[in-house]
This record gives sequence, structure tokens and C-alpha cells, in this order.
Amino acid sequence: MIRFLPLVWRNLGRNKTRSVLTGAAIALAIALVCVLRTMPAGLDNLLASITANTRISVHNEAGIVYALPYSYLQKVRSVPGVVAATSWTWFGGAFEEEKGVTFPNFAVDADSIGPVYQDLGIAPEALEAFRRQRDSALVGRQTLEKYHWKVGDRVTLKSTVFPVDLEIQIVGEIPLANDPRLWLQREYLSQALEAQGSHFDLINMVWARVDEPERVNDVMRTIDELFRNSEAETASETEKSFFGNLFGNLQGFVTVILLVTGMVTLCIVFIAANTASMSIRERVGELAVMKALGFRWRTLFWLLILEAGLLAAVSGAAGVAITLGLARALKNLAGWSPQLGPLASFLVTNAILVEGLFLALVIGIVSGVVPAFGASRRSVAATLREVF
Amino acid sequence: MIDLRNVSRIYRRGADEVHALEHVSLHVPAARFVALMGPSGSGKSTLLNILAGLDRPTDGEVVVAGERLNDLSEDELAAFRGRHVGFVFQFFNLIPVLTAQENVELPLLLTHLARAERRERAATALRVVGLSERARHVPNQLSGGEQQRVAIARAIVSDPEIIVADEPTGDLDAKNAEETLGLLRTLKQDFAKTVVMVTHDPRAEKYVDLVHHLDKGVLLETREGGAAPGGAS
Amino acid sequence: MALPLSYSLRSLFARRLRTALTVGVIALVVVATTLFLGLISSLQRTLRTTGSPRNLIVMRKGSSNDGSSQLPLEALQNIRFFEGIAHDAAGNPIISPELIVQPFFLRKDGGRENVLVRGVEPAAALAVHDEVRITEGRIFEPSAGEALVGRGVAGRYRGAQLGETLDFGRGRWKVVGSFESGGTSFESEVWVDVRELANDAKRPFPYSSFRLTAAPGADVDALARRIADDPRHALEAQPETAYYAKQAESANTLYVLVVGLAVLAGIGAVFGATNTLYAAVQARTAEIGTLRAIGFSRAAILTGFLVESLLTALLGFAVGGTLAWGLGILISWALGGVGFAAATFTTSVIELRVGASDLAAGLVLSLAVGLLGGFFPARRAAALRPVEALRKA
Repeated sequence: MIRFLPLVWRNLGRNKTRSVLTGAAIALAIALVCVLRTMPAGLDNLLASITANTRISVHNEAGIVYALPYSYLQKVRSVPGVVAATSWTWFGGAFEEEKGVTFPNFAVDADSIGPVYQDLGIAPEALEAFRRQRDSALVGRQTLEKYHWKVGDRVTLKSTVFPVDLEIQIVGEIPLANDPRLWLQREYLSQALEAQGSHFDLINMVWARVDEPERVNDVMRTIDELFRNSEAETASETEKSFFGNLFGNLQGFVTVILLVTGMVTLCIVFIAANTASMSIRERVGELAVMKALGFRWRTLFWLLILEAGLLAAVSGAAGVAITLGLARALKNLAGWSPQLGPLASFLVTNAILVEGLFLALVIGIVSGVVPAFGASRRSVAATLREVF
Repeated sequence: MIDLRNVSRIYRRGADEVHALEHVSLHVPAARFVALMGPSGSGKSTLLNILAGLDRPTDGEVVVAGERLNDLSEDELAAFRGRHVGFVFQFFNLIPVLTAQENVELPLLLTHLARAERRERAATALRVVGLSERARHVPNQLSGGEQQRVAIARAIVSDPEIIVADEPTGDLDAKNAEETLGLLRTLKQDFAKTVVMVTHDPRAEKYVDLVHHLDKGVLLETREGGAAPGGAS
Repeated sequence: MALPLSYSLRSLFARRLRTALTVGVIALVVVATTLFLGLISSLQRTLRTTGSPRNLIVMRKGSSNDGSSQLPLEALQNIRFFEGIAHDAAGNPIISPELIVQPFFLRKDGGRENVLVRGVEPAAALAVHDEVRITEGRIFEPSAGEALVGRGVAGRYRGAQLGETLDFGRGRWKVVGSFESGGTSFESEVWVDVRELANDAKRPFPYSSFRLTAAPGADVDALARRIADDPRHALEAQPETAYYAKQAESANTLYVLVVGLAVLAGIGAVFGATNTLYAAVQARTAEIGTLRAIGFSRAAILTGFLVESLLTALLGFAVGGTLAWGLGILISWALGGVGFAAATFTTSVIELRVGASDLAAGLVLSLAVGLLGGFFPARRAAALRPVEALRKA
């Protein structure tokens, strides 16, 4: 087959305008499909990246907003099977006041955050600094990149929930590409509130690590039993379940995205099919001559398919290149937002790029099948009769 | 070399049945230059297609270069053509995106020859037709006559026994027509090819050994051409 | 003399498959962009239309939304007699103290979402939020464990239909009525008695925010300033419309996304359309030569081909627009509204509707595709010289 490549390639150059136009259309469409794919993929990746199957959340049964007493933290720690537990309280800090909250930030128990989140790969020195320094903070890589912050930078956050502004210093990063979180010390917040005369003894949730995956269900049951019939009944769930629920309301949006992606894909098929049929139809005479020379219809068929596939593959590669630039632009423009959460992270993974290329190839081949088959099967004599 | 016995060909055009050939028997010995002539619709092109292995008869037997074509499958016919027959058409001979050299090489892509060998054979063929300097030109840079000569080079590049030409001079001016006919004559004379040509061109009679006349699908008469030994000049 | 329209139309139908493929491409692009646009428009419409221009929302200073604000009883008592606030027939100031809580609700399909529950005093709430209309049943009785649900809520969550019982917070609430509010975000809310809610959520502060109506002819800015300047509490007041408009801004990034998508898709469609028309011009070279020989001018040929291109585009729009409109309704019906996260971290239930403005944008897009896609091929057709064109045939 390799020996036919020059012929195939030259045939693409037969009508350069047409090949370029088709190629550009396919490239753009592939780029669109890839970018759209990053959106639900952002959600899937988030859920998949939660590899720890021993981390559980404990929150008020009525809702996270309903809060829990701080004393619950110690009680959860004393449940057998719980290796470590920390608390999260929504700080709701805004970095640029007019833009509101642009990344999730929490006041956490600095001493226990490390043992509970040991699988995130946070540098030990960072965890140590976070424990020691009152006004320190750990920040997820996505937010660091969005605002071009570095370890050592000082940032002020205006809370939209508490009547305080806190200046924090970044002492470490959470090394996950699509992690937007910021953690600051609960002690720091507590002191700031005390200074204003308010008492702070509530938390939004407890995150705990269980020693073995098999014990998770039992531990969760035990915890909820512990607080049943008390002032704040709890509901425990695994981390995966928690985040799954948190973004569950985006299902509708995801459906629309998938629909749109499907439509754009169909577009590509139409465009490629149109071109294939045009370019093949005008070569009917030539194909008859090649058959006369001794080319079998199957050979001609594969040559035509190869041509359509080659054009699609090259276009797909261009589309993939466009995707990278496009995604970067969108990431800078959008990024994490309250409406879309992880859907707007626009993180392009290798899988998406490979899938994009593959899609282009498949479409190219599929779109060429019908015209190629028709053309290669035509009887030589009949063609010559008509054409000549 | 070519033996047709009682060959008939009927095909459908829309709702009608066309009797293109009616019980035609023809024998062409090897190394002859033969012309098939007749008015439009006489069946000469159909006859050519059948003996070249491009079409199947509805009836009758076709034996070419020792092979009985009736029994061959489509793929086998294709292989047969690639090995035994070279083609020269009136239009659409050459692939417009390939150079003259690459066009001549085209039949060799079907063989197992290495690239260097293919190049060499194509170069040789182009030399035979006198177009070596135009090897790198694409068809629309060549005149009608030059294009036809490239087609002839392509027809001989895989060294087939038979050359089949369908109205080769139909689209050419007088000078180029004579050159083309002369070239085809050389193929029979110097290379012992069996050349069968369908033509309207009255000039052709000077160059061929035999002229077969057809009308309405029937072989009417056979005359000697101008190039036959002892024939009228 | 211009080329007759029938010629353009018939040429399109002569090459049915090619025309169909191009129409298909444009239609798909129109559906994709219009649907997406409809989604964002629906979201923005919901947010922007919410709020009355004569209402003010009062929150603690620094809160970005009433879900995170907390206000004491004294604040209500202090500001309710400020000048400029409207009064009802009985002489009471029209001010609604409200408490916002975001408990978990279970969707009909089992998923869990935060829903905005608004604790209000029945009479005051209905007086201030005059766009709210009770469509079924009645508003709740205080201290009776009852709830009034918005239109978007009724179809989405378990136990949210009239007569059923909602399970949220620490209690159970009987649904005694449902309301609509002209497609505003209130329709994604559940309203209950403010004191019951404070009890259920164990809030130290009884209220999140106040909504009040300014008296006709009153100086709204002065009133807002007076509230903000009050030294006893750290308050801020803004018109309701401004408050919701700000929330709508956060949907702007989505607009960027949609516009980007539309532009890219449009460009792709232009390439596709250009391709087809170039081929058409090539195939009809002899025809064009004949037309020119007959006496049609270059301008007539150019216009004729442009018209063909535009007709193809319009056909694509007709198909795509209809499909998009139908899909919008289908999706909304199948999913029970599309959920978006509001700034309050609750779910706004948006009714996906492909509206007139969305379709208009789709029309503009397809006309642009038709014009741009047809321009170069039409120019080539017009530039053909009759003699050459006929000779090529």
C-alpha cells in the first residue's frame, strides 16, 4: 500500500482549494468537539481523581449549610476505625470583590488536614508550614495558575459569610491540575472573630479517613448512630458520593453539551461525505482507465478510502492543535465558576486528543465508503460507453 | 493471439435491449496491426472491450494469449489485463496530478518491482516514444499528441503482448495523428506487439495490416491495409 | 436583467444530495448554537427579570447574596419606620423580613441538591414580591408546618406536588400551594414560615435579609443611603433589580463560551458551503457560458449564485431553527428543567426555551454563512468569460 501513497497524496492536491476548505472545516469541528468533551470530562476526571476510597464526609443531615458543632470533630475521631479527621468550614472569601467567590475556600483544622489527605501529594514541608504559621494557606494548582500566584505570595480574602477580611500567605500547593481549593487555618478565622466579640464553634463538615476500605460502611453507620436524636443529626457518605451529589444538578447542562457535540460530529460527517462524493464523481473516467490497466476494484476502493482518511487525519491533527490553544484561551477567560464548577476547567487530557484524532480518522473513512464503493464497482465498459 | 468464436453482446440501455454484436468470429494472429472500422454504433468498441478483457460476451467464446476469458472472474480478468494488455484511449488517458513519468509507471505499481526498477522501465518506455525530456511534466503541460505518446509509453511499460487502442487519433490534429499511428506501427514492427485499433480515421488504413469492417454488430468484410506485405499503399 | 429566482431554486433541487448535505451542515450548526444560546438566554432571563425596580434588598454589609447574610431583629425594628418606605392600607410599612436556608432536597431521580428555602411572613412577602402569583392552593399558615412551592420546584423534587409532604431540614412540610412569578428565580424556591425555619435551622440570627417597597415618588437612593449609614448596624441596601442583575453577570463567561462556539461552528459551515458552491460553479461552467452569451451580465450571475447560497442557508435555518425549538421543549420536559448552580449554591431550575432572540441570532449566523460561503464561488462564476466557458464544455 505504501507504494500508492504518492498517488493518493497527489490526488488530494488535485483541487487544492477544496482540500484546504474541507480540511479547515474538519479541523475546526474536531477542535470544537474536543473542547466540548473537556467539559463533562472535567467532571469525570474530578470524580475519577478521587482515588482514596477510605475518605468520608460527615455533614448535617439536613444540609451542609445547617452546620455541626465543633465538638463533633473530637467525637468522630474517637470512633474505632477512624484514623484521622479534620474539619471544613466554608469561608466564602472573595479575592476580587466585584467578582465574588471565584474559587472554593475553606477554614480547616490545620493539624489534621495532612493525615486525612495524605494521598494528594502535598509536600511535607508545606504541611508543616501550614501547621506552624497561623496565617498560612494551601492552594490548589488550578487557582494558583489562574491568578499566577506563587508560594510565598500574600493574598487578602474578603469573606462573604463572616464579617472579616483575612490576609493569608501561600505556603504550599495542592498538586492537582484541576484542583481549585484554598485551605486556611480555622484558628486564624476563630481569632479574628473573637476579636470582634463573636464566638465561633461551628463547622460545616468533618472529613475523616478510615483505616480500611471494607470498614467504611460500618464506620459511617457508627458515626450517624452516634449523633442520632441529638441536636444535629449527621449523614455520612464517601467522598465520591459527596462530590457526585454536589455536581449532580449539572446533569441537564451536560446533556445539552453532549447533544451539541453529537451534532457537530454529524456536521463533520456531512462535510467530509460531500467532498468525497464530489471529488470521486469527477474522476469516474480516470478510475475506469485504471481498472482497464489492471487495478482491481478492491484496490481502487481502498485507495479512495485511504485518500479520504488521509485528508481527515491531517485535518484532525490540525484540529487537535487548535484545541490546545482554544482550551488555554477558555481557561483564562472562564475557569472554575459557581455555575459550572469543574465543567469549566477546560483541561485537555491526552485521552481527549487521541480520541479527537481517532474520531477524525473514522469519520473520514466512513464518509468515503459509499462514494468509493459506488465508484470502484462501476463496470469499466459501462463507464467507457457513457463517458466516451 | 486473439480468437473470438461466435461472440454476441446484448446489453440494456434503460428499457431497450441493444444488440451490440451478433455472432462475430474473429481471429488475429500475433504481431499484427489490425484496425476495426465502421460507423457509429457498429459495435467496434464493444468488440475491442471484449477481446481486451474489459467486457464479457453474452454468448460465444473468447481466447486471448492462450487464456479462455469466459471462465475468468473479475479479479482474474484484471490480472489478465495487467499482464497481457496495454491500453490507449481517446480521452482521460492520463492522471492529471501525476507527471508523465509517474503516469507511465502506473501499471508497474501492480507488480512487485522495486521503485528503482519501476523508474528505469518507465524511463525506457518514454525513450521509445521519444519523450524523455518531458518526463517531469504534468499532462496539462503537454500537447494532445504528447499526451497520447505518454499513453502509448504506459501501454508498453509492462511489456504486454497486446496493445489495444480506442480511437487514439480522434482528438488529434493531422500531424500528431500521423505520428501516433506511426508509433503504433513501430510497436508491431520492432517489438512484435499485436495491436488492435478501433478508429474512424481514414488515414489509419495506410498503417495497418488488416482492416475489419463492422456494421450493426456484424463483421462485414476484411481487407488488407496499406502496410500489409503486398497491400495497396 | 437579473437571473430568475426559479432558475436558482431549480438549480438547487437538481443537485439534491449536494444541496441536502450543505443544508444539513448549516442546519446542524444552527441547532447547536441556537440550543446553547437558548440555554444561556434562559438562565440570564430568569436572573434579569427577577426583582422589582421599586424594591430594595437589605443585607449585612459585605454579603454578596442573601444566603450568606445575617441580620438581627433590632435591625428590622430600627429601619422599618424610615421615611420613603411604602405603607399598606392599614398603615403598616411594606417590608418583608426573610430568612434564607439551603437544605438538601432529593430530586425525583434520586440525586441530591441544595434548594433555596425562604422563610417569610405571608402577608408581608406577598405584598413586597408583587410578581408572585399563587396558582394552586394557598400560602402557608404560620406555625403549621406548611410550605408554598415555586413552579420549578414542583416538578423536580420528591414530595413537592400539591398535597404531598416535603422532607427537608429537620422536619416535614406539607405542600399547600404553588406559585409562579413570571419565570423569575423565585420559582426555584420553597417558601415557609420564617419563625419555623429559624427554629428548624437553629439560626442565632432570625433573618438573612429584608425586602421593602419604596413609596411611590420616594427618593430610593436617599433611602438606601440612610439604611447604609445607620451606625447601629452594618447594613447595605440596593435595588432588587441591581442585585439580581449582578448575579446575572456571572453567566457572562457562559456567553463567551457560546459565542466562541457559534463563531467556530459558523466558520466551519462557511468552508463547507463554499466547497459545495465551488463545485456547483465548476459543474455548470457551460451553463454559465450560455447565460452570459444570451446576455446576462456579470452582476446578474454573481447575484444569482449568491441568491442560491442564501437560499441554501435559509433552508438550513428553517430546518435547524425548528429542530432547536423542538429540542428545547423536549429537553425541558424530559429533564424537568435544566439545573444551574446559583450564587447561593442552590439550584436554579431553568426552563430551557429557545426564544425569538435566540432564533434571530441563528438566522443572522446562517445568513452570514450563506453570504460569506457564496461570495468567492459567485465571484468566480461571474468572472467566467462566455467563450472559454462554452469551450470547456
